[in-house]
Amino acid sequence: MSLFAFLGTLEIGFIFGLVAIGVYITFRILDFPDLTVDGSFTLGAAVTATLIVAGVNPYLATLAGTLAAACAGLVTAWLNLRFNILHLLASILTMTALYTINLRVMGKPNMALITEPTILTPFEGLGLANMYLKVGFVAICALLAGLLVAWFLNTQYGLAMRAVGSNKRMAQANGIVINEKVYVGLALSNALVGFAGALFAQTNGFADSTMGIGTIVVGLAAVIIGESLFASRSMLVIILSCIAGSLLYRIAVSMALNADFLGFHASDLNLITALLVALALVFPKLRNEWKAKRAQGETL
Amino acid sequence: MIRCENLHVTFNQGLPTEKQALRGIDLCIPSGQFVTVIGSNGAGKSTLLNTIAGDIKSTRGKIYFSDRDVTKLSATARTKDIARVFQDPLAGTCGDLTVEENMALAYGRGSRGGLSFALNSKLRTVFQEQLSRLNLGLEDRLQSEMGLLSGGQRQSVSLLMSALQPSSILLLDEHTAALDPKTAALIMDISSQIITEKQLTVMMVTHSMRQALDHGSRTVMLHEGKVIFDLVGEERATYQVKDLLNLFAQARNDGQELDDDKLLLDS
Repeated sequence: MSLFAFLGTLEIGFIFGLVAIGVYITFRILDFPDLTVDGSFTLGAAVTATLIVAGVNPYLATLAGTLAAACAGLVTAWLNLRFNILHLLASILTMTALYTINLRVMGKPNMALITEPTILTPFEGLGLANMYLKVGFVAICALLAGLLVAWFLNTQYGLAMRAVGSNKRMAQANGIVINEKVYVGLALSNALVGFAGALFAQTNGFADSTMGIGTIVVGLAAVIIGESLFASRSMLVIILSCIAGSLLYRIAVSMALNADFLGFHASDLNLITALLVALALVFPKLRNEWKAKRAQGETL
Repeated sequence: MIRCENLHVTFNQGLPTEKQALRGIDLCIPSGQFVTVIGSNGAGKSTLLNTIAGDIKSTRGKIYFSDRDVTKLSATARTKDIARVFQDPLAGTCGDLTVEENMALAYGRGSRGGLSFALNSKLRTVFQEQLSRLNLGLEDRLQSEMGLLSGGQRQSVSLLMSALQPSSILLLDEHTAALDPKTAALIMDISSQIITEKQLTVMMVTHSMRQALDHGSRTVMLHEGKVIFDLVGEERATYQVKDLLNLFAQARNDGQELDDDKLLLDS
């Protein structure tokens, strides 16, 4: 793998680290499997790209893209909480609707940003080569967001949100307003994913109506890989392991695609993803069985 | 003080499965009184507690906490006044969170969760002090996951959690029923300590006649959604378990023996 390709891998790894944190909040903390992210990733990118092309400041455009994605999360939460639609189904509905909305936002299926200013433009004159600058910038974004989310989950409010996902009855008996926590959690999760979409569009120079397909699987893969490698109770470690899981996932994928003896093509990506996630799920179980066997052997 | 006025609760109203769980409960519990509530399965004991807590909306009637009408308040809003311990030891705590995180949640009961850290060293000292009362060695396991504790240990922590914030009312719904006799006795002991210490108004649902007579200062029996007798003071002091059983048979007044009520244990 060339240095250039490796940096590209890291760049995408950090961007999807943000997605992984968002997926962790819904799947693990709120116990609310949310597939909205496939649509809100694109929504973040589409809104940001459209505004930048229209001449809006890239920072404001990124903020707008992030907030738009947060609203998508609110819609899913509303469908579930107000009308009792199963969470999974509610999120699929929002995701499907977003496909059309994204096309409407951009007015076309694909939008180029190559010649436009981006949030990276102010840093381009600092003498750092563009490929290092991009990786550095997304790494700082992902780590800062991770620190903020970890801090949030350790506050009274964040702890209450974790209680809602763990035991609703207990949460209610302790005066926690359940619905409010679900709304805030879904908005936060999708905002992170929308922000990732906005970053992706600006670092890769385009927004595309199909760019979000499979976001949820990649995010989930990162969460699971992170969990199986760094088991911990500390929120900070867990959130950082989401980012680490995303990086490892990207590195494993590009190694698999680059290893000639395996004979994979770029179009085999989905199979590789599935294999990696399966491996990450099986690995901790095998490790435990192996440990148990060895412990048994010692006592005999 | 808790006052229920003509409280009715009907489930599945208008449907073939309609069930009148409460049919006009009138009950006034003065501040600081400890009432034990007994009755067979389906008598409406848990429904009464859940209605007072706000989990179930009453179909008719009013509920007051010290002259404040709370009938329309949500369960969440009522947690400012009410602490609860459930029968299921798993229901009162979050298995995925640590002991200290669970206690921090209870510590924040009734106040809106802010953006300051949920845990700090001062709180940990408070939690450790509280846990050491149990003599279960839990004060050294603040960072253990709640799910790793036994049912008895979890119930003990739930009980301590209910007393972390000042509240005027404590609702105990068969909170010792799922425990072994020794742990049940320990839990009952700590309950009594907390109740005396904080001068709480208490309603305790129990299936054990013995427990109902041994604790508190008043015993109420429910049957088919109504209060069928209400024992207080000296009269109650003279009562034995068998008198309760007799009273129950009389009140039913339908000539049936108690043989279908094996759940009214006399121990």
